[in-house]
Formats: sequence, C-alpha cells, structure tokens
Amino acid sequence: MVELILCGRGGQGIVFLTKLIGEIATSKGLRVITSETHGMAVRGGSINSHVRIGPFYSPLVRPGQAGFLVSLESAETPNNAHYLTPDGILVENSPLPAEPRVFRCDAAGLARDLGRTQLENVVLLAFATMVGGFPISVEELRSRLAGDPREQVRTMNLRAMDAGVKAAKSSAAC
Amino acid sequence: MNKPTGADVRFLMGNEAIGRGIIESGCTLAAAYPGTPSSEVLESLVRWKRELNHPIYLEWSINEKVAFEIAYGASLSGARSVAIMKMVGLNVASDPFLSAAYLGVRGGLVVVVADDPGPHSSQTEQDSRFFGWFAKVPVLDPGTPAEAREMVMQAFELSEKYEVPVLLRPCLRVCHARQNVAITTPRAPADVGPFKKDWTRWAAIPRFRLVLHRQLNEKLAKMREEEPAARPVLICGDSRGATAVVTSGSVSSHVRDVVTANGALAGVDVYKVDLPFPAHAEALQQIADRYDRTLVVEETYPVLELQLRDRRKVLGRLSGTVPEQGELVPELVEDIILNVVGADRPARDAPTIKARRPSLCPGCPHRPAFYAIRKVFDRAIYSGDIGCYTLGINMGAVDTCLCMGSSVGMAGGLARGGSSERDTRVVATIGDSTFYHAGVPALINAVHTRTPMVLVIMDNNITAMTGGQPTPASDQLADGSPAVPIDMERLVRGTGVESLEVVDPYDHESMRGALEKARRHSFDEAGGVSVVIARRPCVRMRNVTMPSTRFQVDENCDLCMSCIRDLECPAFRYEKAEKKIEIDADICAGCGFCVQVCPSQAIKATGA
Ligand code: SF4
Ligand code: SF4
Repeated sequence: MVELILCGRGGQGIVFLTKLIGEIATSKGLRVITSETHGMAVRGGSINSHVRIGPFYSPLVRPGQAGFLVSLESAETPNNAHYLTPDGILVENSPLPAEPRVFRCDAAGLARDLGRTQLENVVLLAFATMVGGFPISVEELRSRLAGDPREQVRTMNLRAMDAGVKAAKSSAAC
Repeated sequence: MNKPTGADVRFLMGNEAIGRGIIESGCTLAAAYPGTPSSEVLESLVRWKRELNHPIYLEWSINEKVAFEIAYGASLSGARSVAIMKMVGLNVASDPFLSAAYLGVRGGLVVVVADDPGPHSSQTEQDSRFFGWFAKVPVLDPGTPAEAREMVMQAFELSEKYEVPVLLRPCLRVCHARQNVAITTPRAPADVGPFKKDWTRWAAIPRFRLVLHRQLNEKLAKMREEEPAARPVLICGDSRGATAVVTSGSVSSHVRDVVTANGALAGVDVYKVDLPFPAHAEALQQIADRYDRTLVVEETYPVLELQLRDRRKVLGRLSGTVPEQGELVPELVEDIILNVVGADRPARDAPTIKARRPSLCPGCPHRPAFYAIRKVFDRAIYSGDIGCYTLGINMGAVDTCLCMGSSVGMAGGLARGGSSERDTRVVATIGDSTFYHAGVPALINAVHTRTPMVLVIMDNNITAMTGGQPTPASDQLADGSPAVPIDMERLVRGTGVESLEVVDPYDHESMRGALEKARRHSFDEAGGVSVVIARRPCVRMRNVTMPSTRFQVDENCDLCMSCIRDLECPAFRYEKAEKKIEIDADICAGCGFCVQVCPSQAIKATGA
C-alpha cells in the first residue's frame, strides 16, 4: 500500500507519468487508482496527479498520507508538500543539493542536454525509481518504455531514463 | 469489484471505461459535444472502434441538443445509442431531453452527463441527478471507473426494460480517475426492430402527452419498487452501529475509504445507492428511523436527502452539516463524519502557496489577437465566451463569460443598455467551435437587429480547450471517415454580415487594419455587425511546428513591463533580484510576436 503525488505545471507530462506508474502496477497485478487534472488548469497552471496503490476506491490522497511527492517544478512543491506523511520523501526537479528526505535531480538540465526539455518527466521518474521504497523499479520502468512501438519515442525515453538513473547513481544520497 | 488479474485487465481512465462499456453493450451510435470532464468518452470510443474493428457510428455533434436528438433518433429506429456531454451541455439539450422522457425510447438510450463538483472546469456545480429528477429520467451514479463501465451496461438494460432514457452521471473524480478495469468481449449490436409509425406516441399532441406522463410516472414507480439498484446497499460496517452514512456516486468512494482507514469511524455503517433517482424512499426511511443519526453525503445537491420524508434524525446539506457548495474531497468528508460521531478532527497542513493561474500557451494565436483588440478598442466592453480564449481575462481583453455562445447574444444587450458612447462599444470574441455550437443563431439575430458590434471569431480550426476535437469545418468525422467541411466565411456571409475580414493574427499590421476597418464600419459608418475572423491553427495541433528561434531581452529594455502585463506570455519572467526581464527558452515557442510589440525594441533573436 503506497500513495504518491506527482506535481508540476500544465504541459510537463504529468499525466504521462501517472499512466506509466498505473500501467506498470496493473501489469504486476496490483490494485491501483489515480486521479489527474484536465481542463483549464493544464494551460500552464498548477496541476497534480494522485496515485494510490492498494485496496482503495477513492482516487484522491488525503493530506498527510503520501509516501512520495514527485515534483517536476520546485515552485509547485509548496502547493503539494502537505500531502506527505511526516517521514514522506520528496523527489524534486532541481539543481540544488539533496537534504534529508529530499532527493533532487536537475531533470530539466539533463533533458535539455538530450535536446528535448519535454523529457524531464521521464528523467525525474527514472531518478525516483532509484530511491528506496519507490513503488516501481527501474527494470519495470525500462521494460515498459522499451515496449513503445514508436521507435523515436522509445529511443528518446530510454535515453532520458538512463540519464535519470545515472544521476541517481552519482548522487550519494540514493 | 474487479480483481486486477488476468489478461483482460486494463488501466483505464473512467471515461475510457465508460467508452468500453458502451462498446461492450452492443451500442450502434454515439454522439457527443466535447466538454471537461466528459470529452475522453468519445475519444476512447474512437480507439475502441479501431482496436476492435467495431461498426459503431461516432460523431462530434455541433452541440449537445443535436447530439441528444441524433441518439434519440437512433433509439427510435431500434438501435442502442448514447449521447455524451458535460452537465452544462445537458442545459443545452434539456428541451429534447425532457420531452423524450415522456415519449420513451425503443432501443436502449443512455445519456452520459459528467458533473464537475468544485467546479474545476465549468460554470456551475449543478447536480445532474437533480436534473434527472426534474426531467423524470432515472439516474445511475458510479463510484469508480470500473463501476462506471458496469453501470453503462446496466443503464442500457434499464432503458430497454422500462422504455425510458437513462442518465449515467459520472463526476469528475470518476471521469478523470484511472483504475485497473476488467473488460470483456463486446456483444453484437442490439436491435429491437425497425421504426414503427405511431403518431400518438412519437408525435404526441398535448392530449396524448397527458397519457404519456401518467405512463412515465408508472414506469418510475415500478422501477423504484422493483429495481435492486434503487435500494441502499451496506458497503461498510455490520449494520449494528449508531450512525449511518447514506451516499452515492464518486463521493461514496471517499466515504468508503475514510471509514475503512480511520479507527475512530469503525462503528459507522455506510449505505450506497446506485440509482439515486428514483430511489426506494421507504428503504431509505427505514435506515433513518433505525439509526440514532443518519448522515447523507452526496454531490452536489440533496437528492437522496430530499427523498427522505422524515428528516428529524437526518444530517446533510439541509441541516447545514454538509457544506452547500464546493467539492467534497476525502479530507472534508472525513472531518464531517468525525464531527457527526463526536470524534476529534486531525490537524491538517494546507498548501503554503497559491496555485499558479493558467495562461494562453506560449505562441497561442489568441494572444496577438487579444493584444490588437486592446490596442484598437481601448475602452470597449469585451464580451467573451467559453474556451481557451476565456484566458483573455489575463490580458484585460475579456470582461464577460456567461455560457456557450453568449458573447454574441449578450453583445446585443450590452450595446443597448449603456447610456454614454463609452459604455456601448462592444467587441465580442468567440472561438470557432463555440461559434458553431451556439453563436450562429445569435449572430443572425445581431445582424437582423442591426446591433452595432464587432465580432472577432478566433478560428484555430479545433476545439482546443477540451483537447483538440474537430469542428464542423473539419473534412473528417471523429473516426477519420470523410465529412463535408463547413466553410466559415460562407456561413458568416450567409447570415447577412456585410463587413467581413479574414486575417492571420500573427500578422500584427493586418490584424490591426482589419479591426480598425471593423471599428469604422460598426461604430462610425454603417453601424451593425462586422466580423473579423482571426485564423491560425492552435499551436497544440499535431501538424503545427513552431520555429526553433529563441529570443532575449537586451539593454534597451526600460522595464516598462508591457511584455509581462499586456502580452502576458508565460515565457517572460521578471527577475526581481537582478531587475531584469528574462525569456525562458524552455517555455518560449518561438512565435516572435514579442519582438513586434516591445515599445523599446529590446527583444532580439538570440545570436542575431
Ligand atoms: S491550446 Fe491552443 S488555443 Fe488553447 S491556449 Fe494553447 S495554443 Fe491557445
Ligand atoms: S517568441 Fe516571444 S511571445 Fe512568442 S512564445 Fe517566445 S517569448 Fe512568447
């Protein structure tokens, strides 16, 4: 049983990550229910997704219940930090150094180096899978991304994934 | 509850699960108008149709009224059919909807109406269950995506058994939830036989309507009495507690989870009603009579609560226990129930900042159009409409937004209601999809009545706000089969408009010129309506590629803030510490419009 929140700004590909996590959990035979933001807010406004793995019916995480907060935009973290449990873990898209229970990765910078800023979501998710206790493993993520039939998308996603994994390995915190 | 095992389990959005239920039910036709949170139902049907090579006919109709009428027609000719819309769409479709309840149906007819408690993306928080009650149409209220799929099939069966339309009311938290959902093989398209002429039924005059009304009441009474779905079902507890919660729909899932998770609520019994209208009132009353207190938790109107006759021991919206507006999120539900059982509420942290407001996309063609409108008509009333371009409020270019198509209709009154010249210049803005949906009759009215107004149709060739559905101008139907594209210029000319200009909003000079011409025509010379079509595809459309050029602000910048205030492009940022304007190259779309509007010519292409 684990609950997480993904947050950022509309257009950063949060729904894509939500689907990835949900599909991987589904293929493992786990019960999963999620909720996401659509409509006006996705035009650059604040958005988040809720993911609940376990015997849940409601798709919404209550404040103080999330084990992980994956934040694609550090400016959005304060909007969502209240969802974390007292010992919950924040994984943030940011060049700043790590802190206790805060893991940071400059996913935007790494994605820019790959030539596509939009890949920051995959970089950060791959980084998050390396953090202890995260509900999906890097192997599961890899096999999911490798299954994409569109060759270019597959190649770029796998490269983004490798960048995130590498960043996690070189950061002493993980 | 489905078990997430086996090959036939997919991770589906609620709207996709509803689409799957429609296909599996042997449905022949689906017609919809896009609107958050309902749009993905028909989009998923396009994918299911392709994946299964299914013959279902799919269309994005011009509006919800037409969508309902098409589905109703298919039902009379014997097929199962469905109309899909958001709740305010049901307002548009209400005329045929209410009448169809009297006439009844032949092939199963399901109306999927998505509600938006909150509201997150809508004008109202109306409860479509209440609308169903008003229309005397039965309502099924799903709690999860998996349940929504099952209820679609149940809805078709009820519809055929009782010969009435059935409303399926998923809330946003079902529509935009995703869950592992077990799916099965679709059944063959159902058919109750060809249309049979009977004017006393299908074209009933008032005398026969009275008969039909009696029949409808009898159908509802029978349904209330005989259908298990009309009765409350125990979903938590052992029915021996002192407190009962009665609930329905998506909020029932929050109730179930908080009662299960919170030890202080262990003795609470929770009852769920799948068919909140017509609910079995006596069975509800028995609960209320038996428990010390019964709390009704439902969204957003007191539908179950009002069906209880003796409410002396009942708590809910009518007693002030449940707030009368706003979404019932799980933490609020938990606090309400804890309060009712007399337990302490937990301390909760709240967000420490305000949510970021949405903006038109970088490169959005609406931005230069609004910019030019502000420059040419500096004191007008800007009558706006529903779509991405409602975000023109950020640029001070939208003053009103009532409902679909109202920019044109309201302009007729705004232009005549004011006393000074200053108050009576009206510039209306409307998107192409909204124009087709409800703007056309209003435009005919404005032309006919010689309303002095300028109408700017922001034509980006798509229904952008809801994710890019085709408009009647498209040469393809929802599933890619050929359509007759409607020519907007001919349509506008056909309404009798004399002054019409078509411009590319990226071409700042022409855009200004067209607006100035319209201003002269409508306000200085002939009077009456002039129309400017500002045409450029939405930057989010698949086939649109944006330039890779990026821009920077140089030392000529005098910090006038015009780019931040008037242009409002999200790529611009004022760096307080350095007292500098920055353009974020990751966000910029390369449209180059800012270069044209900076009064100090301080914006240059990088490397130039
Ligand atoms: S989606 Fe299209 S129409 Fe909507 S704000 Fe973005 S560019 Fe403009
Ligand atoms: S070119 Fe200028 S106006 Fe266009 S997206 Fe970039 S910063 Fe915004």
